[in-house]
Amino acid sequence: MIAFLVRRLLQAVAVLFIVTIMVFILIHRLPGGPARAELGVQATPTAIASFNQQHGFDKSLWTQYWTWLSELLRGDLGYSFKENSTVSALLLDRLPKTALLAGVSVLVAVLLAIPLGVVQALRRNTIVDYVFTAVTFVLYSTPSFWLSLILVLVFSVNLGWVPAQAPQGSIGAVLSQPSGLVLPVATIALISVALYSRYMRSSTIDNLTQDYVRTARAKGAAISRILFRHVLRNAISPVLTLLGLSLPFILSGTLITERVFNYPGMGLLFYNAAVTQDYPVLLAVTLIVAVATVAGSVFADICYALLDPRVRYAHA
Amino acid sequence: MATMLEISDLVVDIRSGRSTVRAVDGISLTLDPGRTLGLVGESGCGKSTTGLAVLGLLPAGGKVTRGSIRIDGHEIVGLREAEARAIRGRTVGVVFQDPMTALNPTQRIGAQVAEPLLIHGMANRSAAMKQAVDLLGEVGLSRPAAQAERFPHELSGGMRQRVMIALALICGPKLLVADEPTTALDVTTQDQILQLFDSLQQSRDMSILLITHDMGVVAGHTDEVAVMYAGRLAELATTHRLFGGYRHRYTEALLESIPTLDTPRGQRLATIAGLPPNLGGQLAPCRFAPRCAHAEQVCFDVEPQWSEQGEHGYACHLPRRTDADLMTESAGAPS
Repeated sequence: MIAFLVRRLLQAVAVLFIVTIMVFILIHRLPGGPARAELGVQATPTAIASFNQQHGFDKSLWTQYWTWLSELLRGDLGYSFKENSTVSALLLDRLPKTALLAGVSVLVAVLLAIPLGVVQALRRNTIVDYVFTAVTFVLYSTPSFWLSLILVLVFSVNLGWVPAQAPQGSIGAVLSQPSGLVLPVATIALISVALYSRYMRSSTIDNLTQDYVRTARAKGAAISRILFRHVLRNAISPVLTLLGLSLPFILSGTLITERVFNYPGMGLLFYNAAVTQDYPVLLAVTLIVAVATVAGSVFADICYALLDPRVRYAHA
Repeated sequence: MATMLEISDLVVDIRSGRSTVRAVDGISLTLDPGRTLGLVGESGCGKSTTGLAVLGLLPAGGKVTRGSIRIDGHEIVGLREAEARAIRGRTVGVVFQDPMTALNPTQRIGAQVAEPLLIHGMANRSAAMKQAVDLLGEVGLSRPAAQAERFPHELSGGMRQRVMIALALICGPKLLVADEPTTALDVTTQDQILQLFDSLQQSRDMSILLITHDMGVVAGHTDEVAVMYAGRLAELATTHRLFGGYRHRYTEALLESIPTLDTPRGQRLATIAGLPPNLGGQLAPCRFAPRCAHAEQVCFDVEPQWSEQGEHGYACHLPRRTDADLMTESAGAPS
């Protein structure tokens, strides 16, 4: 298990290294360039040249990359002129809030999806199954900005149950007003339920037809025992794998949702940085998302290994 | 002595989509305590379906349409699910064909073997685990306490089948249904597993319904044999009687298709021409007639009746004549 973990983590580091190169090159190939973004379209070529020289943007791309990477490894993510703050400080403030939003949303989605998938599997090809399938697929195909607007219209404007805007300020402020989280969480969770419930449904159906289930029945086990003691653990592994792999999907969901609810997380930060061409922030957030994506797939592998002893030993 | 298993006029229909197949069509047999009954036939003849019906574990769409199954005197056809569960695993144990897939891949061996005791409330967790380890030793696993902590994929096929046997026997069932228990194993392991069945049967005084397609297994390890063909019983006799003087032409064809060591090189193996009939289609009155080398017009016109002499019954219009028949005939013939 330890060997498996070490190897998996080394792979992750290699992937991240490649990701930093690609992200850096892509963002520095964007039209405009940091000088124009900072000094405005009216800036004279001399002003731009001196800005570039001052911040090292006149050096070769590789030199810039090494500078950026070595600073990154020292924990320095650069400085945002737009936000007038170090990028690390910005992320330190925003990242926990997005993690909270994404984490709670995924938790809600999975807690809905697992029982839903099991019920659909047990009642497969009945009206119950069809209705749940239809509902979850409609939600899955709904654009998140539209769904959040509908939720705001119904639950904030018409019913007045929950606020339409997320609480501003630090993570403490967000946590002290959980009602502000309800609609953003509902948006992301409802859209991603189908993602997990479909997997849960098919993996449960798959497991229910396995010989070991027949063995459990032959022991005299009731259906509830068969589900909880035998099928669930086997059926849940693909869903947990998917959970890790769906992190990018969830984070892109938070981007839109944070914008709609003005939730002060990383998604909103990224949105604003993209609009204002705030390069250091764009770079840092993209990198964080890459780290999260890689971490998600490592998490998926570890979960799989923990749940399925065959994987654990095959890789050890 | 009361019979352990009594199946009378059992009919099982399996529905899939719009069509219904009569997988088992009116078979009757009995199994006494401490005895082994071999149920033989080709794939799809209804032998496994019969076994599953005894367990009340027919596949989706399967249903006992007629007849009765009594286990130790208790009728099990028509039992409610909860009542059937109380019998499964406790009064009747089962060993399935493929030990590779019949065990839960994510549960430790010991827990799987102990589970029936917990289900039937026969022991608490620690006592159940102890019994499981003891039984794993009894079925021939060395260092059973260590093996109990392992996962199925860490064991060989033969070892897993021993685990399956322990799992089936943990509650001390009076009847064991063994559905092709050695088919997925290699030949040397097959023999060890069959010997294990024999010794366990003696030490536990249990009845075994041994479902197999292998006449060799039947010859060495059963007391009685029921030969099935296309959902019906072709022949039923004590193993000794059957091999001494089989009558049904299907039994004959089955036995003739076993190659022997003294079959000359180059000689073609005897086979039964054609395939078993599709049970959903039109069937000849004698179901074996279309493939039978001895069939005459009567086999296609009239359903053969079950005839029984002592412990030997069969349903064939033109049964094979045994040596005894030939002797009586020659003695009674006009000179």
